[in-house]
Amino acid sequence: MKFIFKLVLISFSLIFYSSVNAETIKWLHIQGDSSPEFPNYLRAAEDFEAKTGHTVELQYLENEAFKAKLPTMLQSDDRPHIIQSWGGGVMLAQYEAGLLRDITDLVPQSYLDNVSAAASDAFVVKGTRIGFPRNVSQVTWWYNKDLINEAGVDVSKIVMWDDLLAAVKQIKEAGITPICLGGKDKWPVHFIWTHLHIRNGGKALFLESFENGGWDRPEYIKSGEQMLQLVELDPFQDGWLSATWPDQAGFFGDGKCAMAFMGNWMIGAQKANSASGEGLGIENMGIFSMPMTNGALGESTDTLGGISGWLVTKTAPDAAVEFLMHMVSSEYQNDDASKGAYIPVVLGADKLLTNPILSNVASNIGASQYHQLFYDQFLGPDIGRVVNDVSTDLAAGIINPEEAAQLVQESWEFNQ
Amino acid sequence: MNKNKYDAILSKYSTLIIFIIPALTIFTLFVVLPIVEAAYYSFYRWDGYGEPNKYVGLKNYQYLFKNKTFILSLQNNFYIIAVSLFIQLPFALLVALLISDKIRGASFFRTVFFLPYILAEIVTALIWAYIYDGNYGMVAAIWNFFGAQPPYLISEKDTAMMAILIVIFWKYFGIHMMIYIAGLQNISKEVLEAAKVDGAGPITTAIRIKIPILLPTIRLSVFLSLLGSLQLFDLIMPLTGGGPSNQTHSMVTYLYYFGVMRMKFGFGSAIGVVIFLICFTVAITYQRTLMRKD
Amino acid sequence: MFKNLKSFYMYLFLFFIAGIIFIPLYVSIVGGFKGIGDLRTNSLGLPTVWYIENYTGLLVDNKFWLFTWNSVLYAFGTTFLVILLGSMTAFVFAHMKFFGDKFLFNYFILGLTFPFATAILPLFLRVRDLGLLGSVWAVILPQIAFGLAFAIILFRGFFRQMPSELFDAAFVDGCSYSQFYFRFTLPLSTPIIATVAVINLVGSWNNYLLPLIMINSESYYSWPLGIMVFRGEYITDWPKILAFVSLTLIPAVVFFLALQRFIIAGLTGGAVKE
Repeated sequence: MKFIFKLVLISFSLIFYSSVNAETIKWLHIQGDSSPEFPNYLRAAEDFEAKTGHTVELQYLENEAFKAKLPTMLQSDDRPHIIQSWGGGVMLAQYEAGLLRDITDLVPQSYLDNVSAAASDAFVVKGTRIGFPRNVSQVTWWYNKDLINEAGVDVSKIVMWDDLLAAVKQIKEAGITPICLGGKDKWPVHFIWTHLHIRNGGKALFLESFENGGWDRPEYIKSGEQMLQLVELDPFQDGWLSATWPDQAGFFGDGKCAMAFMGNWMIGAQKANSASGEGLGIENMGIFSMPMTNGALGESTDTLGGISGWLVTKTAPDAAVEFLMHMVSSEYQNDDASKGAYIPVVLGADKLLTNPILSNVASNIGASQYHQLFYDQFLGPDIGRVVNDVSTDLAAGIINPEEAAQLVQESWEFNQ
Repeated sequence: MNKNKYDAILSKYSTLIIFIIPALTIFTLFVVLPIVEAAYYSFYRWDGYGEPNKYVGLKNYQYLFKNKTFILSLQNNFYIIAVSLFIQLPFALLVALLISDKIRGASFFRTVFFLPYILAEIVTALIWAYIYDGNYGMVAAIWNFFGAQPPYLISEKDTAMMAILIVIFWKYFGIHMMIYIAGLQNISKEVLEAAKVDGAGPITTAIRIKIPILLPTIRLSVFLSLLGSLQLFDLIMPLTGGGPSNQTHSMVTYLYYFGVMRMKFGFGSAIGVVIFLICFTVAITYQRTLMRKD
Repeated sequence: MFKNLKSFYMYLFLFFIAGIIFIPLYVSIVGGFKGIGDLRTNSLGLPTVWYIENYTGLLVDNKFWLFTWNSVLYAFGTTFLVILLGSMTAFVFAHMKFFGDKFLFNYFILGLTFPFATAILPLFLRVRDLGLLGSVWAVILPQIAFGLAFAIILFRGFFRQMPSELFDAAFVDGCSYSQFYFRFTLPLSTPIIATVAVINLVGSWNNYLLPLIMINSESYYSWPLGIMVFRGEYITDWPKILAFVSLTLIPAVVFFLALQRFIIAGLTGGAVKE
């Protein structure tokens, strides 16, 4: 049946299909042409084409569109060969569905010796390598120095959660919007809630909950209560629930709010999405870590962030792996590091970080005993999205802290 | 003669097979089987690869009916139906009655009022997303003009659903008006003349004569409106995408976000089955009772 | 006097409604000509400076035309096949008696009550397993399947009203069923073909959910997907988005004004005779 059906269609299809060149590497990335790393993407592709004769086809999707489209895209025959990944449970689900390619034997040890082992191991599942790291990142509070000074806030004094609340109140009283937030995309909201989890619960409780459940324990309910303390100050910009992450970055870049809670990719994003196209200068921005909470079980050095990179999909040619090794190399990462595009994973490249904020982030991650990957990626496609939903509902005042914790637990149980 | 008859039968059956098989195949493959399969998958937890093997019984359905967002989406569908039936249709009827009489400019108004219906849902929703935009939109401009703080209609959980309902009203009243006008044109002139001779004014004529004759048409438009409301999707996606914070999902956007985007074939199928059962029950009950005579 | 006052109120009311219909369309079209600052402060008025770049930029954009062409392909592919397959099937139901004919007809009619969203996930799997995901057939085949039921009902009703003498005479002359279908039935059915065509053209042209799920590569995007991607890229650059929106409005309105009769017949479901 299936065969006949195909046969009938082939004759029609010839009109619509163009022939596919086996040496074309289809690379799907989420960094647009105004992002700081994009010039080196182009250069890496051109160099590789000149060197090998293969073709590299760059394909761009905006972050949210990428996440929406990827599940169906991976199942089609014209799936890209290289995709963006944040590791964790989402990657695991893709691996278990058989959508990724085992490239263990294609990557020589000599190559891996030049890459940070911690980052590199994030793309190995049960001894099988399925991808490459690109960068590491940390989520922190960002502030606009002018606006913070105008409100008379001293960020070095923000050590505890209550200090942050006091600062927000002070900024608000100065007539400045304290925090920009992209509520429509939801994951920017989940950073706040889950970083409070990291503070309140620490590493041990996370691992315990991940293995045996218990997402509704008091420590996590406490995170919700703390988040509500913040929400009650009405700190976010008007219409934040329908603002996207690029809106959030753009507003911050335009100086429409004093703070934002975001990963270090904020540097490039606030510039690219600002109305002027310039954003805030690096000298006018600063970061500080999520403050500690009373009775916290976690350490103040614990970090929330990502190890991002590239996955190789199941129908990718060997050339795709060659290209990744070519691209994730000192040739391009050194340059990106010196431009402050991201924190590189190639050994030695991090020494070239001249950007003070990125150096600061790099040393935070270096000092961290517990670098927790983004919850929404680490917990897998289903529970992760529930965490995003729940964080946003909590901030929107739709559910209370107990319900929020309970919903995550229910989703965890449903997925066992 | 016998041979001719044989040929005729042969010709008849070969035509029959050639004429019916392509449609039958496509219809079965892409409409009937998927619905049967949805019922089957809904008892499994399945990522869509290999054979579904993790049988979970009614767990998907239990989770669904415990899920607040789904309950809310049912409620939203209910609001959509209520606004369609009790505000939009009476309004469409009123307009139809006004312009079905040969007033000057009738065809102009008819065309204008029907216009929103021919626009794609996506386009309609984008236009209104602009109008409602709290920073750049028309509503914001009007509020700013009066020196007031502009509202963020589709970002606030209290107003977002209302904003969607307004768009639904704007877009769909024209089609119902058109259906009524078509129905009104079928009323014979003699009946209306007779009413006039009896001294009935326009309002009396409308209530006593036109609306009763129009009842089958009204029942039809109610039916179309019901089924359309239950399946609303395109309009919501660009406006709110179910937000803020999952407050404005319809059943179908819920299915898209929680079933399709998360590639949960079992759970998503269960949502599909529930939508199917609701639509099917509504359609059958309605046809068996109210539309029986039509 | 009273009568005049009454009709004054009536016209006031009608023009008020017409205004509510027109204003959103008007602000979209002129909005596309404005700068972002102008748009913000001057939403209702004419542009202080007319920027035509948003429109001309789109008109020279290959992607814009590619999306439009793809939508044309989906719409005409679907419509042509629904008309062909639907009318052939309806022809059988209208003119032939055979074992199980009623059952088979009801089987097709059942399709009317199947909401498309119900089966979206199994449909996705079917298309994927047939290896069609991301191709034009991934959109066209399901659209045909879901368009058939209604087309068959409309065609069957129309064919049955054709004078039976015609059929008898042709049959005596040795005309076979298929010859009759091509020589008489189809040419005499233009009104109903137009109705079915309108329903399917408009349905396919505006379809969003199906291409959203089935199409991955930009080279096969229909315009609704394209416009949503555009919206994702130019989040708050409303003049650009409004220009795109307006460019899709114009053909729709022209198409409507030109073929109003058929469109109204088609879209009111053919259920009401004009």
